[in-house]
Amino acid sequence: MLRSIYLVARRDYLGYVTAWGFWLGLLITPILFSVGMMVPAMAASSVPVRHFTIVDAGGDFHAAMVEELADRRVRSARNLVEGAGLLLGSDADRDAALERFDAAIEAGDTPTEALAVAAPQLPELQIPERDFVLVDPPAGTLDGLRPYLTGARHVETEDGPHPLFAALIVTEEGVEYWSENVTVDGIKALARRAASDMARNQIFGDAGVSVDILDEIRAATPDLLEKRLREEASADSEVTLADRAPFFVSVGLSFFLWTLIFSVVNYLLMGTIEERSNKIFDTLLTSVKLPHLLAGKLIAVLAVSLTLMSVWTLGGIGATSLGVSFLPGEAREMVGAIAAAALDPGILVPALISFLLGYLMYGSIFLAIGSLCDTIQEAQTLMTPLLILLMIPLFVVIVAMTDPESPILAVLSWVPLFTPFLMILRMPTDPPAWEITAQMALMICSTGAILWLAARIYRAGAVHGAGVNDAMGYLKRSLSFGRG
Amino acid sequence: MAEPSLVLNGATKRFGAFTAVDRLGFEVPAGSIVGFLGPNGAGKSTSLRMALGIMTPDEGSVSLFGETPELSALRRVGFLPEERGLYKKMTARQTVAYFARLKGLTASEANARADELLHSTGLGEFARAKISKLSKGMAQKVQILSTLAHNPDFLILDEPFSGLDPVNQQALEEIIREQHAAGATVLFSTHVMEHAERLCESIVMMARGRKVFDGTLEAAFDALGRRARIAVEPGFDLPAAFTETGFQLERDAADHEDGADWWVVSLPDGRSAQGALRTAIEAGAPIAGFMQEEARLRDVFVSLVEREEARGKLPPKPEPEHPAEAL
Repeated sequence: MLRSIYLVARRDYLGYVTAWGFWLGLLITPILFSVGMMVPAMAASSVPVRHFTIVDAGGDFHAAMVEELADRRVRSARNLVEGAGLLLGSDADRDAALERFDAAIEAGDTPTEALAVAAPQLPELQIPERDFVLVDPPAGTLDGLRPYLTGARHVETEDGPHPLFAALIVTEEGVEYWSENVTVDGIKALARRAASDMARNQIFGDAGVSVDILDEIRAATPDLLEKRLREEASADSEVTLADRAPFFVSVGLSFFLWTLIFSVVNYLLMGTIEERSNKIFDTLLTSVKLPHLLAGKLIAVLAVSLTLMSVWTLGGIGATSLGVSFLPGEAREMVGAIAAAALDPGILVPALISFLLGYLMYGSIFLAIGSLCDTIQEAQTLMTPLLILLMIPLFVVIVAMTDPESPILAVLSWVPLFTPFLMILRMPTDPPAWEITAQMALMICSTGAILWLAARIYRAGAVHGAGVNDAMGYLKRSLSFGRG
Repeated sequence: MAEPSLVLNGATKRFGAFTAVDRLGFEVPAGSIVGFLGPNGAGKSTSLRMALGIMTPDEGSVSLFGETPELSALRRVGFLPEERGLYKKMTARQTVAYFARLKGLTASEANARADELLHSTGLGEFARAKISKLSKGMAQKVQILSTLAHNPDFLILDEPFSGLDPVNQQALEEIIREQHAAGATVLFSTHVMEHAERLCESIVMMARGRKVFDGTLEAAFDALGRRARIAVEPGFDLPAAFTETGFQLERDAADHEDGADWWVVSLPDGRSAQGALRTAIEAGAPIAGFMQEEARLRDVFVSLVEREEARGKLPPKPEPEHPAEAL
C-alpha cells in the first residue's frame, strides 16, 4: 500500500517540480507580492499633476486655498518624517526629528528644507510632486472657462500649456466646483477645508478671539495612552509592538495560507484532467487501489506546497536577516516581535493544522472536479461558483485587519470551508478554548466528509467516465428527490 | 489440472436501469489464448473491468488466479485498456519503468527491463524521448511494452488491435504468440473476428450484455453449419431435383443481379458441396452459378445472435450508459 502511494506521489511530485510552470510560480509569486505591496506607494507617486483655477472676486477664498495648499505640503512632509519613524531609530529619535521639522517650518523654511533638517540621515525622503497646481484663471466666467475645462484650450503655466482640470467659482451662494471629472475628490476636499478655515477665521475674528487659541487647545490636550489589560493586574502594560505583532502575523499567515492552497490545488485539477483526457485511469487502477491513487496525488501536491513554503520561508528569513542588520534598533525589535509571534505555538500550531486540513479539503474538491472534466473549459463551469465563494475569506481578512473581534469574522469562522483561513485570524484575540476545539473538530469532520464525497465523485469520473453533465444531472435529481 | 487464470460466474453489472453485463460466466484456462468477441457495446470492456477489479459486479463473482481480483493477483496481470493513454511529459523509458515498478519491480529491475524491451522492439533510440514527441504508433507500442514489462502470467488486452496499422497489428499478433509460447495466458477482446480466427484456441462471444457462445473455434464453426449456393436458369425447379437427397434448400435472399435463381443448400454431416452440385447436374439442372461457402467467424456470430434473438434470450438494443448512476 505505502509503496504504491509513494510511487504515485513521487511520479506526480517530480512531474510538477520539473515543469517550468513550477519554477515560474516559485519565483514570480514573491515578486508579485512585493509589487503588490509597493502598488499603493507607486500609485501615490504616479498621480498626475492637475491644474485648477479659482475665480474669486473677493480674494478671501483664494487666499485660504493658497494657505491650504501650503499647509497640505507641510503635512505631507511631516507625515514622511512620522512614517519613517522606525528608520530614524527609537520613538524618542522620531519625536526629536518631528520637533526639528516643526521648528524649521516655524522659522520659515520650506517643507523640503525642513525635511532635510529633520532627517538629514535620510536624504531619500522626498516630498511627492504636487498633484494639484493652482493657476491664474484664464477667464472670469464659467462660459469663458468652458473651453479650458473641456480641453479645447489649454491654460498657460510655468511648465507650458496644460489642460484645466477644475475651476472653483465663488458666488454669493457659496463655492461652485466645476469639472468634467466626477471621481477625483482631492480639490473638493481642499476647498472644503479652505472654506471651513475661512469661516472659522471670520467668526473668531468677529468674536475678537485669536485663531492661535486653537493651537493652544491642541497643545493642552492630554495624550491618549493605550494600555493593555491583562488577567493579572501586575501584568497590565502599555501597548507595544509585541502586542500588535500577533495580529499582523495572523493576517499575514491567513493570506499566505489562502494563496498557498490556491497556488497548489490547481496542480491537482490540471493533473487529474490530464489523466482523464489521456485515458490513464484504467491502466493505473490495475496497479494501484483508487484510495491509494488519491492519497498519492494529494501527498504529491502537499509536497509541492511544502517545497514552495520552505523556499519562500527560507528566502524570507534570508532576506530579512540580510536586511535587518541595516535597520535601526526599533525596526529590528519589530522584526523580532513578528518572528516571535510567528513561532508562537498558539498561532503556529493552528496555522499548520488549518493549512493541512484546508489543503485536504480544497485539494480533494479540485481532484473531484478534475476527474469529471476532459478540458479546463469544462472545469471552469464548476470552478467559477467555487472561486466566487472562496473570495469571501479574503474580504474577511480585510475586516480582520481593523477589527479582529468582528462578529462577521466570529460567525464565518464556523463555516468549515472558511475555517482554515479565518480561525487563525481570531487566535490573537484569545477566543474561548471550547470555540477553537469545536471549530477544529468541525473542520476535521468536514474534511473527512469532503474527502469521502470527493472519492465517490473521483470514482464515478475515473472509473465510470462520468462527466460534468452527469454530475449536474445527479445533483438535480438529488435536489428534486429532496423536494419530492 | 491447473487452476483457471480467470473465472467469471454469473457476473452482472448494471448502470441504473441498464444492464451492461447479464449473468456472464466463462473460464480462461491457464496457458490458453481466448478471444472475447462481440460488437461495440456488447459489454466486453465492462466484463474485463470486472475481471480486473476496476468495477465490482452487482451480482455473481470474479476469480482471478483463484482469488478476488485484488492487487496481489493483479500483479500477475498485464492489462492493455481499450482507451489508451500515457503521461505525455514522461519519456518512453520512464513510462515503461514506472508501470513496471507499480507492478512490484524494483527501480533497477524496472529500468533494466524498460531498456531491454525498448531496444528489442526498435524503440531504443527513442527511450529518452517524451511520449508527446512520439508518433501515435510508437506511443501505442510503448503502452504495450508497459503491459509486458513485469513479465505477466496473464495478459488481458481490450481491443488491442484498434488504432494500429496493419504492420503493427501483425507485430502485436506476433507478441501475443510469443507471450503465449512463453507460458502466458492471453484473453483479448475484439470486434474484428479475423484476429480471433488467427490467434485463438477458444472464444467467448457476447451480444447485448449476454454470452451467446463459449467454446473452441471448431465448435463455433460447427454451430453455424456448412452451406453452398447453387444458381440455375430461371424456371427450373431445383427443390424438386433435391427431393429425398438429404440436402435442405431454401431460396437465397441475397440480390445477385445476374437473373439466375439462387438457392442456399445446407450440407448435412458427411456430405460435401461438390456432392450437392453433382446431384443438381445429374437432375439436369441448367447450372448458372456455384459457390462453396467458407464460414467466417463473423457469420458464426451473426448466426448465433439471430438464434438467441429467435429464442428470446437477448434483450432489446441497449440504451446509452449512465455513468452518473455510479455516483
